Amino acid sequence: MSDGRRISFVVGSGRSGTSTMSGTLQALGMHVPQPEVAGNATNPKGFGEPKWAVEFHERLLNRVRVQTGDARPSAWFDTGRPAMREIFRNELYEWLEEQFAAAEAGDEAAGELPTSELVVKDPRLVWFIGMWRGAAIRCRATPSYITMLRPVTEVVGSKQKYYAAGSRPGSQNEISRTAGWVNVMLHTEVATRDSERAFVRYADLLDDWTVPVFELGERLQYDAVLRASAQDLRKVHSFIDPSLRRVHLTWDDLHVPARLREIAQATWSALDRLADKDGDTPELRATLDQLREDYTDYYTEAELLTQSTAASARLEGIVAERDRLAGLGGAGGADATGSRIPHSLRAMVPAGARRAVKQRLEARKTDG
Amino acid sequence: MTVSTGSTTEGSSTNVEGREDFRVSWPWEQPGRRLKPGTTSVLRVKNEARSLPWVLPPLFRATQAVVLVDNQSDDGTPEVARQVAREHGFEDLLRVFEYPFDVSRCGPEHLGTRADSVHSLVYFYNWSFAHVETAYSLKWDGDMVLTEDAEGLIHDLSWQLPGKDVIVRVPRHSLYVESDRVAYLDLGLPNVEAYGYPMGPAYTHVKAFEWELRAYPEDVEFVRLPDGASLELKWLDSDEFAHWTAPEAFADNFRTARKRREYELFTALGRGEWADLERQGFAHVHRIESPDGQHVIDHVTREWLPHADRDVFYAHRPGEKEASQT
Repeated sequence: MSDGRRISFVVGSGRSGTSTMSGTLQALGMHVPQPEVAGNATNPKGFGEPKWAVEFHERLLNRVRVQTGDARPSAWFDTGRPAMREIFRNELYEWLEEQFAAAEAGDEAAGELPTSELVVKDPRLVWFIGMWRGAAIRCRATPSYITMLRPVTEVVGSKQKYYAAGSRPGSQNEISRTAGWVNVMLHTEVATRDSERAFVRYADLLDDWTVPVFELGERLQYDAVLRASAQDLRKVHSFIDPSLRRVHLTWDDLHVPARLREIAQATWSALDRLADKDGDTPELRATLDQLREDYTDYYTEAELLTQSTAASARLEGIVAERDRLAGLGGAGGADATGSRIPHSLRAMVPAGARRAVKQRLEARKTDG
Repeated sequence: MTVSTGSTTEGSSTNVEGREDFRVSWPWEQPGRRLKPGTTSVLRVKNEARSLPWVLPPLFRATQAVVLVDNQSDDGTPEVARQVAREHGFEDLLRVFEYPFDVSRCGPEHLGTRADSVHSLVYFYNWSFAHVETAYSLKWDGDMVLTEDAEGLIHDLSWQLPGKDVIVRVPRHSLYVESDRVAYLDLGLPNVEAYGYPMGPAYTHVKAFEWELRAYPEDVEFVRLPDGASLELKWLDSDEFAHWTAPEAFADNFRTARKRREYELFTALGRGEWADLERQGFAHVHRIESPDGQHVIDHVTREWLPHADRDVFYAHRPGEKEASQT
C-alpha cells in the first residue's frame, strides 16, 4: 500500500538506546516530526522524540490510567481501546499526514532534504502501536519497528539512577521496574510480530554503530541508510557517544524476588537472540509466548496475594473523594455528601466495602 | 448419558440422535486441560469456495488458529481452504472438520428444531466451537473479509483479550460483487455484530427464534472495531439466500429487517437497477470500480475503505458521528 512513504517506529523500554537510534536515523536523513523534546541531564544528546507524540500518548495513558512502564498484562487491552475510537484515530492520522507533507517539502533553512521517511520514537508509543499502524495505512506509509535491546539489569539500574531522584510517592521501585520491563518487552515483541521489524542491541550500537545500522537499513529498506552520504555518516559519528552507556549493573546490584528475576533473565536471554542474524525463529517465538504466559500467571498470583492492599487503596480513594466533596458542599453532612458521589463511582465499590465506608463516615460524624 | 437442554451447555453433551461420534466435548470439561493463550477463528461454511481466497488470509495473519467446519459443500470448499493455507504458508494454523448433517435453515425451520439435535444450528455451533483450543474465539463467516486496518486490530486483540471477559463487536458492510472489477458497497445499513468471545461455560450457544445466540454473563465488557472493519461478500450471480427457509421468512419481522434490505437490494442490483436505486429508497450505496489488474474486493479492502473519508460511514446517521467522538 506504500507509495514510497515509510515510517520507522523506535520502540522498547526507556533507557535502552531508543534516543540514540532515533537520533542516528535522523542524522542519516530521516525526518523527526518537529518540535522535539529538548535534551536534559538524563539524555544530554536529546530524546529524538516529537513533542506532539509525547503529549498525545500521555493524554491517552492518563485517560486509561496506565503508566509508561506499567507491569500489568491487562494494561495492554486498556490502551488498545483508544485505538478503536475514531476521534483519536483521526487526530493521529491528520497529524501524521501533516508530518509527511512537511518531510516531503524539506526544510532548507534547517538543512533537511525532502524525504518520505519518518522516524517516531517515544517509550510510550508501544502502548498505541495499533493506532499508529492504522494511521500509517491511511497515510499510505509502510510501518516498520526497531526494538532496542539492553540487559534488564542495566535498564532498571539506569531508571533508578536517572528517574528515582525526582520521583513522586508511589513511583516505581526496582521490583516494579523489573516487572514493567518484562511486561513491556514481551508484549512489544508480540505486538510487532509479523510486521517489518529489526532488533538492535544498545551495546552493539555503541560499540560499532555501522554494523547494526547497515543491517537494519538493508532489512527494512530505509533509503536514508541505503543512500547515506559521507557527510551523513560523519554526523552519526559525532552524534553517538559510547560513554552514554553509563550504567553497568548485574543481578547482584538489584533486590528482586527470585521468581521475577528468573522470568526477567529468561526474557532477556530470549530477546537478545532476536538480534542475531536469522534469530527470529518460530522456536524462539514459542519460548517468548511461554514466557508471556508465565509472567501473566505470576502477576495474577501477585494481584490475588495483594488484593487487600488494592481494596484498601480503593477505599482510601473513596473516603478522600467524600471528604473533598464534603468540603465543597458545605453543611450537607455525610449522608448528603454520599448521595452526591456519582452512582457510577459508588457502584465500583463492593457492597461490603461501601458499608464499611458508610460506618466510617458515621463514626467520624459522631466523633466530630 | 447427559443430554443438553440447549439453554447452556454444562457437562459433556450428546444429541437426541445418539451420535456419540458427534458429542460436544468442551475443553474445560477435560481434566487437566487448559486453554492456550491466543485466539481461534471459527468458520462454519457451506459452499464458500469462491470467497475463501479473500476471507482466510487475513484471519491466518490476525489469529493464532483457524477452525473451518464444512457442512456438506459440493463446490470443493475444504480443498480450497487447504490450498489457500498452503499458498500463504499457514498450513499449520488450519484445521478442517466435516459436519455431515443437514442443518435447519434460519427462520421457521430452525424454530422447529430442538437445540440438542445434530440438525440444529445451536448444536452445530457448539460442536464447531468445542474444537477451539485457545482462550478466545472469533466467530467468522465464510463470506466475511477483514480490511487491512482491522486485520491489525484483530491481531492486537488476539493477544490482548485472552483471560478477559470482553466481547468484540465488528462493523460489517455488504459488498455486492457484480464482476471482478465492479461491486456495490452498502453503507446505508448500520450492522455491527458481536464476533469475538472468550471461551468458557458461560459463552456457549443457545437457541433464539430465527437462529442461534451466544450466551454471555451480564457483567461482560464490549469493545467495538471502527467502521469499515469488514465486508460481507454477496455474489450477484449466485443464490445468497439459500440458507433461509424462504424469503417470506424475513418479510415481516423487526429482527430480520437487515435481511430484508439485503434481499431487496440484492434483487434490485441483480436486475441491473443500480441507476434506479435511490428512487427505490436505497441510499448510500456506492458503485466501486477497481483499477485495471486489481480485483474489486482487494481494491475495497486495501484502498477504498481504509482511505475513505470517515464521514461516509455517518452519512445516513449523522447523530452517531457525534456519539463516536466522545
